[in-house]
Formats: sequence, structure tokens, C-alpha cells
Amino acid sequence: MTILALEGIGLTRRFGGFIALDSVSIALRPGEIRGLIGPNGAGKSTLMDVLSGRAGKSASGRVSLFGQDITGFPAWQRRRAGLARSFQKTNVFPDLTVAAQIGLAARAAETNNAAEVIDALELSALAGQRAADISYGDQRRVDVALALVGRPRVLLLDEPAAGLSMAESLNLALLLRDLAARWQVTVLIVEHDMEVIFSICSHLTVLHLGRILANGPPEEVRAMPEVITAYLGSSAA
Amino acid sequence: MAGAGPLRAARPRLVAGMLIQLLNGLVYGGLLYILAVGLVLIFGLRRVVNFAHGSLFTVGAYVGFTVTSVAGFWAGLAVSVCVLTVIGAALDRFVFRPLQDEDPIVTMLVTFGLLLVLEDAVRTIWGKEFLTVQPPAILSGVVHLTGTSFPVYRLAVIGVAILVAGGLSLWLRFSRVGLYVRASSVDPLTTGMQGVDTDRLSATVVAIGAGLAGLSGTIAAPLLALSPSMGGSILIDSFVVVVTGGLGSFTGAFIAAMVIGQLHNLGVVFVPEAASMIPLVLMVLVLIWRPGGLAKAGA
Amino acid sequence: MIRIAVFLAAGAAGALLPNLFGSPLLLTLLTQAAINAILATGVGFLVRQNGLVSFGHAGFFGLGAYIVALSATNGWMPIGVALLLAVVAPTVLALLLGAAMLRLGGVAFSMLTLAVAQAFYELALRWRSLANGDDGIAAQLPDRILGLDLSVFQQPGSMFVVCWIVLMLVLFGLSVLIASPFGTLTLAIRENEERARFIGYRTLLPRAAIYALSAAIAALAGVLFALYNGFVTPNVLYWGLSGEALVMAVVGGTRAVWGPALGALLFFLLKNVAGDLTEHWPAIIGGTLIIVTVLLPRGASGSIALLMQRMGVRTA
Repeated sequence: MTILALEGIGLTRRFGGFIALDSVSIALRPGEIRGLIGPNGAGKSTLMDVLSGRAGKSASGRVSLFGQDITGFPAWQRRRAGLARSFQKTNVFPDLTVAAQIGLAARAAETNNAAEVIDALELSALAGQRAADISYGDQRRVDVALALVGRPRVLLLDEPAAGLSMAESLNLALLLRDLAARWQVTVLIVEHDMEVIFSICSHLTVLHLGRILANGPPEEVRAMPEVITAYLGSSAA
Repeated sequence: MAGAGPLRAARPRLVAGMLIQLLNGLVYGGLLYILAVGLVLIFGLRRVVNFAHGSLFTVGAYVGFTVTSVAGFWAGLAVSVCVLTVIGAALDRFVFRPLQDEDPIVTMLVTFGLLLVLEDAVRTIWGKEFLTVQPPAILSGVVHLTGTSFPVYRLAVIGVAILVAGGLSLWLRFSRVGLYVRASSVDPLTTGMQGVDTDRLSATVVAIGAGLAGLSGTIAAPLLALSPSMGGSILIDSFVVVVTGGLGSFTGAFIAAMVIGQLHNLGVVFVPEAASMIPLVLMVLVLIWRPGGLAKAGA
Repeated sequence: MIRIAVFLAAGAAGALLPNLFGSPLLLTLLTQAAINAILATGVGFLVRQNGLVSFGHAGFFGLGAYIVALSATNGWMPIGVALLLAVVAPTVLALLLGAAMLRLGGVAFSMLTLAVAQAFYELALRWRSLANGDDGIAAQLPDRILGLDLSVFQQPGSMFVVCWIVLMLVLFGLSVLIASPFGTLTLAIRENEERARFIGYRTLLPRAAIYALSAAIAALAGVLFALYNGFVTPNVLYWGLSGEALVMAVVGGTRAVWGPALGALLFFLLKNVAGDLTEHWPAIIGGTLIIVTVLLPRGASGSIALLMQRMGVRTA
């Protein structure tokens, strides 16, 4: 019986009377790249928040990382335990240089591999520039780099390709897949871009209205009638 | 009957003493509440702390003093509140509104600057010496309670505080403006988009907040000696009240004001030198227990 | 390396100043300016590193001054220990207060800095048996302090050199801190506290440490004040003084660590010019604060930095 890389059991989040997440359970095996998809408002970001320690008192349920119960851990402690995340809305340090902030993140992490990550994410040319001064696409790569640096054991990626062109998105996705394999990082990725999802995920979890709708390999999931209905039913973009 | 004598006699005096203590705490708590609620109103609408609030209290007391010496207490009260209301509207128009898109700290620095300017203005116009104000004739007697007497004026002050608390409560709950104030306290952006004239709304609310500061100052005048720095110590306490109650909460401010009012008075009686420290210590303890203050914003 | 050279040069220049300008009046002004420069540096550093404004730094300044004065007058402890305590006690207090107050967010934090300082002011005012209230304490300082004659600290010429050296040491220490990993961390927390937590850092303690350090600097200035003046009144705790320090920090600009010190210099030049108007000094401070905050948010050092940038010079 292998230990699960990340396990969430009975995760629930309420906002007043509204139930954003209804007793959701999710289990990631070490080394897998799991896609988390679902129509808008399904609760994907909420699930990310609960898993990463961004939810506070409005959430309940248990989270464990490689068998260690991290339910009570604040965000900084979760990172120290090996659980990192990136953000959908770019969340970097505007006034620090790219090198300074990735270096900062690396110093708190398992391995100080700042140079390696800057290189891998093609940020070397921008290393000396302030994050506020670089392009949106570059900032998103910095956002991911901050999460990726140090080789976390589990990485939660919240729409890393948001706002990127199709080519940039695919590029980033394949890069992440390679790094994850090389560094043995388990990944949970939220994405709307289906090309990205299908190119790197071995397994999908579908959320709808705060509940798990389906689980399975991408080809199976995309053909499930309830999944298709869910996407068609909630007016698509 | 034999052994009960001295104890029997002591108990009524103890009860009377405690009652006086309680009432005095309510008086100060009431003044504090009226002042603090003005801060909460302004913060709720403008998301900034009006550091000049202490000097509004002081100006209210001094304007009241001047008008009272000419036209009597009631005129003094009325004029003072009106003047402060106008000052409040001007404050909103010329300070809060132009700076509303800046970092809140900018407005706080400016109001702090105003605090210093106003304090100096008061000192220049009225001088450094202590001044006194007499309570109005109708309210200048005493009331007899359980074997002791208590000034009528102080009871009146408690009454005013209750009226303000009650009136504010009703106004917030049932009037259109009150509804917008509560909505704005929770979500300023959306309220702005609803087509509400936020500028007019803010001016009104800030004016009311300033008027309340003036009210507190004017009715406090017969109880304290007027000095240019009189706003100082009550400002500390009102800041502590607002933060302990939870920034933005009206109910929290009320509870905190009552508690701090009592503690302040107990402090003044038992440890007069360190009385100013007591509200602070309480606040630190509350914050350790509940980091956001007693109540959540908008309550 | 360059940094050390710059500070040594500046230190030497300042130390030589009294030999060039003999005027006692000017030296007195410069000494006061130097002491206030240290206080302003503490205030400005807090803004720079934590993004927080303290309206009550006079509280730490005054606490430092009172501890020296009270200890010297009552003979509680050897002067060397008193000087140390006068810096350490406010620092520890700031650390504890910071831990409680920093959770609240910038606005509430600022309010409380004012409240804390004012509470200490009231304490000094009312505790007559200890602090002699409004009349203040004339500190009975010993004849020798830290191996130096008392007159060294009380003559404007020599005291200016002492204060200048302390100022240089403080600025040097801060610039080293800023360039260190801890400096980067606190700046990061200032810019994006949430992300700092998500990359694995606790954020409360580093900020409390910065607050404590800024308090230590203010207390150090208070110690120098007590030694120089030999006389301490509750005014050292009053918000007027906090306001002055703020003006200096805002006028000088906080981006450069030496900005507030520059602001202090400009401030004292202004004070010299204002002359008779000093009766309305609080109003002038208030007015200046308003004008500078609104019109020149970057302050003098920021404007100089901007100018240098335009001329192609790299700035720190």
C-alpha cells in the first residue's frame, strides 16, 4: 500500500449559507500529474485554497501530505512540509528583482536550486529586472518559479497558463511535465486550457457545483455524458 | 441582632460606592462612545482613520464654551454641534475626497498634521490656561440614590449617550442613508456602482461623525477642565475602543466603550498615575485572544 | 567594501566639522539635528522595511531618555548598565507590542502607535512621585560615562561628533541589514505578505523584529538626548515630537536609508529660519507634513535619487 502524496478527506467550505465545496475527497499518488477541471464556479480554486492552507476557519476536513496530517498547518508550514502552490492571479513581489525573489524562495526550500529554476523557466535574461517591469507572460513564469523552486514534493498549480498564448501555454506545460518527472514532483493542476490538460495529465478529476463529478484517465472522462452535460449546461465561454 | 450592627451599616455604603463608580464609568464610557462612533462612521465610509478627531472634540468644547458664556449652555451646544458638522463636511470635501484614491496612510498623515494645526489654533485663540464651563441650571442639581447623591448632569450625559446609541442603531437599520452606510462599510465599491452619490453620502456621514465629536466635547466640558490638549487622552481611549471593538464595527465600539469606560474610572480611582495604561493593556489582551477585535466589521 | 569607505569618509567629514565652524549656536543646532536625525532614521526605516507608519515613536525616544534620567538621579544602577537598559527595554517592549499589533493591518497599527506613546506621556505626566510630572527631571549624571568625561556629552562641539558617529554607525548597520537576506525577506513581506507565507516564511516575527529595531534606534536617540540636555520632561513623549520625526522622514524620503537624516537637517535649517514663529511650531510641523505628504511623496532623497537616475547614475 503506497503512501499517497496528497490526500484531502471530506473537504468542505462554506461562505455563510453557500456551500462552495461539499465534502470533497481527493487522493494523489506520488509522481502523478492530476488535472482538476470543471465548469466555472465548480469550486476548483476553493479546493486549491483549502489544500494549500488559504482557507481559514470557513473550511473543514482533513489534509495529509505523504501520510503527515497537515490540516492545522498554516501556509508557511505547509510549504516547509513540502506543499507548494502557484496562483491564478499573478502573485509576485513587484519591487524585487526576479533573481532576488526566486533566491528568497529557494532559501526557504528543500534545495537551493534558484539558478537551475531560473534557467529552466527561461528567466535568465530577466534575472536582474524588477518583477513589475517585465511582461505579463514573464511574470506568470516567475509566479510558477516561486512555487517550483526548491523541488517541493507536491505542487499545486492554479491556472498557470492563464492569459498566455497557446504556444506559451503548451511550452510551459511540457516544461512542467519534464521538471516534475525529473524532480519527482507530484502535481495537481487546475486549467481551462484543454490542450494543456490533455498533453500532461495522466489522470483527471472533474468538479461540479462543489462536488466530485468524475475521476479517471482523460480519454474516459472527456467522453462521460455527465461531464459533457455539466460543461454544456453551465453556459460556456 | 447583636453582631450584625457594623456590617449592616457598612453594606449600604459599599453598595452606594459601587453604584457611583458604575455610574461614573457609564458617564465616561458614554462620552467615549459618542466620540468613537464618529471615528467608526468615518472609517466605514472613507476607509481612513481621522487622526484629527481628538482636536474636533477639543474644538467642540471650546466653541461651546465661548457661545455658552454669551448665550447660555443650550445655545452653546447647538452652535457647537452645527459648527463641527460644517467642519466635518469641509474635512470630507477638502481632505478625504481628494485623497480617496491614495494609500490610506496619506490621509492619516494629513489628518495627523491637522491635529497638530488645530491644537495650535485652539491654543492661539483661547490661550493655555484652563477654562471651566458650568452645566445648565436645569441639570445642575443632584439626585438621591440609595443613600448617596449623584449629579443630575452626569445622568443626563449617560442619557445622551443612550440616545445616540439608540438613534444611530435605528438610523442604520431603517433609513435609506443608514442602509447605504452599512452597505458601504462592507463593500464600498459596489455601493458606488449602485448609482448612489457616494460623495454626498460621504460628506453627510463625515459631517455627522464630526458633529458627534463636537457633541461629545461640548457635553464633556462641564465635567473636565478645558485645555488645548484635552483631546489627547480621550483620543487614545477612543482609538483603543475602535480597535478593540473591531475596526468598522458599531456594536463592538459600544461594548468596548462601556468596558473601557468602567476600567478607566476604576483606574483613576485606584491607580491614578497608571490609569492611561489600563485600556491599552486590556486591548493587548483582547487582541491576543481575538486578533480582529471583538466584533467583525459591518456589525 | 565601497560602503565601508563611504561611511568612513562621511564619518571623518562630520567629525572635522566642529573644527571648521566654531559658532556655538550652529553647533548646538547641528547637535540637536543629529539627535533628531537618529530618531527620524528609526521612523523612516520602519516605513521603508515594513511599510508601516508609526505616529508614536517619541514613546520609545522618551522611554530611553527617562530611563537614563531616572536611573542617574536615583542611582539605581551603574550608568553603563542604565544606558544599555535604556535601549534594550524599549526594544523588548516594541517586540511584544509588535507581535500583538502587527496582525491588525497598517491602519489599526498606526492608530495604536499613537495610543501607546500617548499613554506613556500621560503616565509620565501623572506619576509625579516618580517622574516629577510637567516639571521634568534634572538628571544627575555622573562625571564619567563610558570612560569619557561628562563634558564630552554636554559640549555642543564634542557631542556633535559623538552623535554624528552614532548616526553613521546606525546608517551603516541598516544598510548592511537591507542588503542581507533578512532585508530582502522583510521587503518581500512588505510587498506581498501572502506570497511570502506561501513560499515558506513566517511573517509576523520578521516584522516585529524590524519594529523593535526601529524602536531601538529611537531609544538610542533618546539616550543621547538625556546625556546632552541633562533634563527630561514629558514633552519627549508627546505626539508633537513624533510628528516632527515623521515630517523629517517624509521630507527627507524613506527609500534611501539616509533620507530621514537629510530631512532632519533640512528641518533644523527651517527651524533656524523660522525664528519667532516657533511659538506656533506644532502648526508649522502639521502644515509641513500636510504639504509634503500631498505634494512630494518621495521626499528630498527620493527626488535626488530620481534626478540621479535621469542622469544615468545607478542608485541603491
